[in-house]
Amino acid sequence: MDASRRLRRRTFLGGGLAAGAAVAAPMVIPSSALGLDGATPPSERVRVAGIGIGRRGEYDLGCFLQQPDVQFVAICDVKEARRQAVKGIADKHHGTTECRTYRDYRELLDQQDVDAVLIATGPNWHGLMAMLAAKAGKDVYCEKPCTKNIAESLLLRDTMRRCGTVFQAGTQRRNLPHFAFACELARTGRLGRITRVYAHPAGMKAFSSGWLPEEPAPDPAVADWDMYLGPAAWRPFNSKTLADGFNFEKGGGLVGGGVLEWGSHCVDLCQWAVNDCLPPTDYAPPVEDQIVCRYAGGAELVFREKDWIPLGSCPVRFEGETGWVEAGDSGKIVLSSPELMAGRKVEEIGGYPATFHVRDFLDCCKTRGKPKGNADAACNAHIACHAANIALFLGRPVKLDTESWQFVNDEAANRLRSESLREPWRL
Amino acid sequence: MTRAGTNWSGWCVALLAAAVVGMGHARGETAVAPSQEQELIAVIRSETPESEKALAFKNLAIHGSPACVEAVATYLGNERLASWARITLEAIPGGEASAALRSASETLSGRLLVGAINSLGVRRDAAALPLLEKRLGDPDATIAVAAAAALGKIGTPAAAAALSKALAAGKPDRDAVAESCVVCGEHLLAAGDAPAAVKLFDAVRRADVSEQRQVEATRAVILARGKDGIPLLVELLRSPSQRLFNMGLFTARQLAAGPDRDAALAYEVDLALLKSLSGTGETTLAAQRKPLVIDLLADRNAGGAAKAVQQAILEAAASGEPALRLAAIRAIGRCGDAASADGLLGTAAGADAAVVPAIREAIATMTADGVDERMVAGLTDADASVLPLVIGLVGDRRIGAATAKVLPLVDHSDPAVRSAALAALGSIVELGDIDVLIKKAASPRDDAEAAAAATALKEAAVRMPDRDACAARIAAAIAAAGPRAGVLIETLADVGGSKALAAVATAAKSGDPSLADVSTRVLGKWMTADAAPVLLELATTDAAGPYRGRAMKGYLRIARQFALPESERAEMCQKALAAAKDPADRKAIIEILVRYPHPATLAVAKDAIAMPDISDEAKAAVTAIEAKLPPPAGGK
Repeated sequence: MDASRRLRRRTFLGGGLAAGAAVAAPMVIPSSALGLDGATPPSERVRVAGIGIGRRGEYDLGCFLQQPDVQFVAICDVKEARRQAVKGIADKHHGTTECRTYRDYRELLDQQDVDAVLIATGPNWHGLMAMLAAKAGKDVYCEKPCTKNIAESLLLRDTMRRCGTVFQAGTQRRNLPHFAFACELARTGRLGRITRVYAHPAGMKAFSSGWLPEEPAPDPAVADWDMYLGPAAWRPFNSKTLADGFNFEKGGGLVGGGVLEWGSHCVDLCQWAVNDCLPPTDYAPPVEDQIVCRYAGGAELVFREKDWIPLGSCPVRFEGETGWVEAGDSGKIVLSSPELMAGRKVEEIGGYPATFHVRDFLDCCKTRGKPKGNADAACNAHIACHAANIALFLGRPVKLDTESWQFVNDEAANRLRSESLREPWRL
Repeated sequence: MTRAGTNWSGWCVALLAAAVVGMGHARGETAVAPSQEQELIAVIRSETPESEKALAFKNLAIHGSPACVEAVATYLGNERLASWARITLEAIPGGEASAALRSASETLSGRLLVGAINSLGVRRDAAALPLLEKRLGDPDATIAVAAAAALGKIGTPAAAAALSKALAAGKPDRDAVAESCVVCGEHLLAAGDAPAAVKLFDAVRRADVSEQRQVEATRAVILARGKDGIPLLVELLRSPSQRLFNMGLFTARQLAAGPDRDAALAYEVDLALLKSLSGTGETTLAAQRKPLVIDLLADRNAGGAAKAVQQAILEAAASGEPALRLAAIRAIGRCGDAASADGLLGTAAGADAAVVPAIREAIATMTADGVDERMVAGLTDADASVLPLVIGLVGDRRIGAATAKVLPLVDHSDPAVRSAALAALGSIVELGDIDVLIKKAASPRDDAEAAAAATALKEAAVRMPDRDACAARIAAAIAAAGPRAGVLIETLADVGGSKALAAVATAAKSGDPSLADVSTRVLGKWMTADAAPVLLELATTDAAGPYRGRAMKGYLRIARQFALPESERAEMCQKALAAAKDPADRKAIIEILVRYPHPATLAVAKDAIAMPDISDEAKAAVTAIEAKLPPPAGGK
């Protein structure tokens, strides 16, 4: 065996510590149509609860609280300190003391006065918690990466369909004008037939969460380690792992890394550019910092580390036969020809705020429409990331049948399609 | 049981990612060399730390064969490592792993038993059916519910029978069984057994289960029945339950929807939805729900609806409650054709202030063929009351072909038409016709026209591909513009480029105080550094009359804010020190030198020490700059 091809302990353990008309802000259903003029009547409020609200979740929470029709009613977290901190934020905002706190998500999901949940747990919980919430009749805003593997991606999509759930993945760039315009140029043929879409993976290493030395576990009332692990395979308590919820078990503890972490943003935009079609079928391992994947229609999805125009983080580039566009988190876009603007103005919103994405979600909670980061789109984008990661991990090309969702004649790849959940959890 | 203890460096076994390549299994076989698998088995049978065993389980999940099952299965009863062992057992194909899980299920209890049952469900192990059916009656509800979930995943007719029986009996947890029934039904449907699936879905609908399970089953049965499910869909939309209504909206977005839809069935669904809008008496849809159904119709037909659907939506757009009307207008924008655009324009006549912008936004975003042509035609045949709206839409849709028709409208007798025409030209006019806007900006008939023309000219000028040619045309009009020349100079600043800069410089030095005022003001905000020499000249001569000081401040702004070669910046500061009289400006120059530490700026600062009024500041600057610069080569 070529030792250099092995996923060694350092990378296997390292994931847990890895860093992880005018086109304006998206049009939403006018408030007047929803009865939102002035003070929001109780019947029009969306009662939101949070599950696992750490640093990222607190940002999301702020976006929710900016919306006049949101009533944040409850928080569930395995950490007492987080429960109290989030309750404090919500109560201060609403001027009440009514935000309820839960350690066990099941109690929260049983609450009949919760319409929707914001899930910002560690990634090990994302997909499963989204499905449990949907089965409890809640709409779901879920941070990304939403799934750990291909099978979970498909189950997430199917569960949201089955339960009639409005699902919004935390891919907020879909609701930013310049990214939307770039995708629109690609989708509507303004660039000619699309030949290549580029995503930035921000690292092409396969990571897994580690197994740190066992320490005495805290009182579950303070920090519930069993609930923190949730569906992740068992590990002994370690305070560093507990603190690293953002990175814990990304990609199922096997093949996370930048392809999934950033990919669930950048690839998601690429998928939108190709009209949210099924993910690529052919995936090659990295060559010169590029993973090249091919769609059934012939276009390519390229994970590319370098050669980007400096437009900020999360850059994407869409190339067609007659033009190209590149965009990034600065809020700016660069075009192959100024004529592509055709006199249009694109509002430049840098810093990738999630406010518009949250608003899109809340409006769909009321109309039962499909938000931009819906489960179908998220499923396809995540599968593209997982399949690319499998090619990366195996170090050879893999071919995915997008009808059966099996890799063709490739048992090793197929075994990486899913992973068992720790008891008693199941998908 | 072994423990990893605190030595995490013990987890040194690497995943065998390269096994396939390294062993030459080019076509994706998963096997590793038997000796390597035996090594991994030896690890999990040894007293090595748990962390190493966990990694071995992962490796075996990818590359293990049935040969490892027996060793792995011994951990199914290990509370710490059972979850790792099941990662392996769920992944390995063949009957051995399933048999091991079934066998363990006979002896395990509690959470570990739930885990084994879950794995049997994931593996869809039909042989586990008797075992699972038996576990449906387990006194531990978590185990019984796990068995139900596994049966749902297995999804065979026999599993369906077991679940139906449990559902009827209400054991162990009717709601959990109902959930499994729907999953099971989906498997049956996928296998082509629609009647069995529908039977299962209907059983859930009739059962005493939560409303959430009811809506899931109802959605499933509607989709499974197709055309025959339409009445049930309409029933959902009329349900007093908000949850059922919500599922109706959700399901209607899935039934015969999407690019591969059955067009005939889709039409039937649309007609039923329309009928629900127009029903009377008991069949009337609640008023607050109608806009949502209209929105749904637009979603279902995005890009183009059938004529009858469009007509019905158009009727809603023409009358009805405000919320319904607005929803219908938006819907036309998403699914209407050119004729619908005409229809919407027809409703605009006499419409209130809230409706007209909605109509404009809807038509502006329509993607149907022929809408542009309708708008162009409307310029000559539209009702006078909607002509400004049509002109506005020509601009919104950037219909350049309409320019010739819009140009004469800038002299129309109706001020609203004139204003709309100017705004539209701002969006569509080409360089060859921009003189119309220049003329209106320079010689407007009143203040309203002046404002409209100025805005339009700016809109047009900044998008001209040849900005120097555009600037030349604007510059040529300055002399005759009289008191409106300032607008032209401000527009030149927006256009930018060398021609615009030269024209503004000429205006600044024209001797006309008002031109000097506006010109030095825009030069002070110029966006490129090539304005610096112009500003220095204005700051050091009397060409701009009383605005020398403003010119110097503009010059210093460039030195302070722009990205420049440091030698060039230092030279600018040197020239500024020679010319600036205002003490505040002179101190500002020293601050610029400190802000950009460089040998060139250091030299200027040293020279400034000899200037008595700023000598102290210059000395401090020299000290500050030297502190930021690396020591000279060879120095201490």
